[in-house]
Amino acid sequence: MKRGELGAFLRMAAAEIPPARGLIPLLALLTLWQLLAPGPSAYFPAPFEWWRAALLLWDSGQLLPAFAATVTTFVEGLVLAVAIGVALGIAIGTSRPVERALGPLLEFMRAIPPPVTVPIATLLLGYDVTMKLTVVALSAIWPILLNTSSAAAHVEPLLRDVARTFRLSTARWIHQVVVPSVVPSILLGIRVAIPLAIVVTLLVEMLTSLPGIGALMIQSQRNFQSAQVYALLVVVGLFGFIVNDLFAVIEAIVLRRWPARGGFRSG
Amino acid sequence: MTARRFSGRLWWRPNIAGLLTMAACGLAWELTIQAGIIDFQYLPAPSAIIQGARELVASGELAAATVHTLESVFLGWAIAVAAGVSLGLLLGFSPLLRRYSLATIEVLRPMPAIAFVPVALLLFGFSIQTELMVIVLPSLWPVLINTMGGVMGVHARLGEVGRTFRLSRAAMLYKVFLPAATPTILVGMRISLTLAVVLAVLAEMVGNPEGLGYGVVSQQQALRPDLMFVYVVVIGLLGLALNALLIGVVSVSFPAAAAELKGYRP
Repeated sequence: MKRGELGAFLRMAAAEIPPARGLIPLLALLTLWQLLAPGPSAYFPAPFEWWRAALLLWDSGQLLPAFAATVTTFVEGLVLAVAIGVALGIAIGTSRPVERALGPLLEFMRAIPPPVTVPIATLLLGYDVTMKLTVVALSAIWPILLNTSSAAAHVEPLLRDVARTFRLSTARWIHQVVVPSVVPSILLGIRVAIPLAIVVTLLVEMLTSLPGIGALMIQSQRNFQSAQVYALLVVVGLFGFIVNDLFAVIEAIVLRRWPARGGFRSG
Repeated sequence: MTARRFSGRLWWRPNIAGLLTMAACGLAWELTIQAGIIDFQYLPAPSAIIQGARELVASGELAAATVHTLESVFLGWAIAVAAGVSLGLLLGFSPLLRRYSLATIEVLRPMPAIAFVPVALLLFGFSIQTELMVIVLPSLWPVLINTMGGVMGVHARLGEVGRTFRLSRAAMLYKVFLPAATPTILVGMRISLTLAVVLAVLAEMVGNPEGLGYGVVSQQQALRPDLMFVYVVVIGLLGLALNALLIGVVSVSFPAAAAELKGYRP
């Protein structure tokens, strides 16, 4: 990465974050909480207690492995979903008959809430890491697949005519026309898939006690370690925020290279 | 745009190829199980699932679970919409409030829904309150953001017209801003409804042991995959039905906003 590019990257990253003065309500709430409930409590432990609980978890060597397990599953599951979803989406979308034939089936599959796939997969695949990964990928795949196929099916008619005029082969048609014009829709699909993948990763861990932040959360709740529950809530919240912001930057960079075209409104 | 709209209309023609594919998949599933080609110990054939559905309908369990989930979804959604629209209006009208709270919203919004489950359990135990907390907090955001965006997107000239007629603040809200922002607010409400269904099921799976979500988990633990799949299918159908209902109600009561709503697929 050249220096100018790095600068642009950082500026873009900063632009995604609204001004910090907007954090005042959150800070005020936490301060008030700390002042009103200064000590440990079964329900509303003070924010300093959360910090202490987080440090304890870190020192006991539980936090880092759990966090690593959760992040690994999330990233691997999402990458798998993107790879399969985009490939299948383009394959389905570029053929009108296939799109029509598979449409209702895919729509029905998408209508089933992702959390429900967890018990199904535990029964069919058992309790292990493969199952965890399968479930996450399976939950994240629908928005990506359906957005890609819908965009591939609705490539700008003008481009279609141009490609026909130049007698592009199918391979070049997909590579040079379809792929660039579905990029914005793929990004939209990933944006929808990210929270799903996070939720399902944590849910698998909660339901099956496979190692991860989810398992740690439910375990501390069962032991009524309230400060630890809040500490983990903050950890998960920060993770969600960072992933969200990071993806916004990636999206901005990619969209600069392959801008969304007028004419097709994805969604 | 025209191409998109045209194909959108095609969807509503019965898609015979699509329905045939679905039927063929179901048949293939049934036959492979019957013939013992794939042998997952816990994969029931569609016929076994239909049998299971009869069982659950006869015992009344399915109806009770569906009613519970529906109640939670509607109650949670109603709270989220009420809070989201009011907060969204406030933020939409006041640049000052926006300046001093947007970052907080951006920090809280990506909070994964499921992270609230342990906290809710800590506060409320296994109860409907737990379920409502898990439904309301995440499904608040789409309504809030869309209401705010809707109000901010109202054309300046409409505000000028209102001022020319010397409308009071309340009249400005009810006669100018709310009607103009309605289509955007409705889109937020639809996203929020879809979310509320997923969240209710999620909360029932790990929080409140009642309803359809609990049905799925408890039948999985009882090693009754046939009954588990009944709950799964009912949940899927419930989501589709609620979505269709919302679009139907909107098409009748706000015909102008319906087009925008249909174009958006959450």
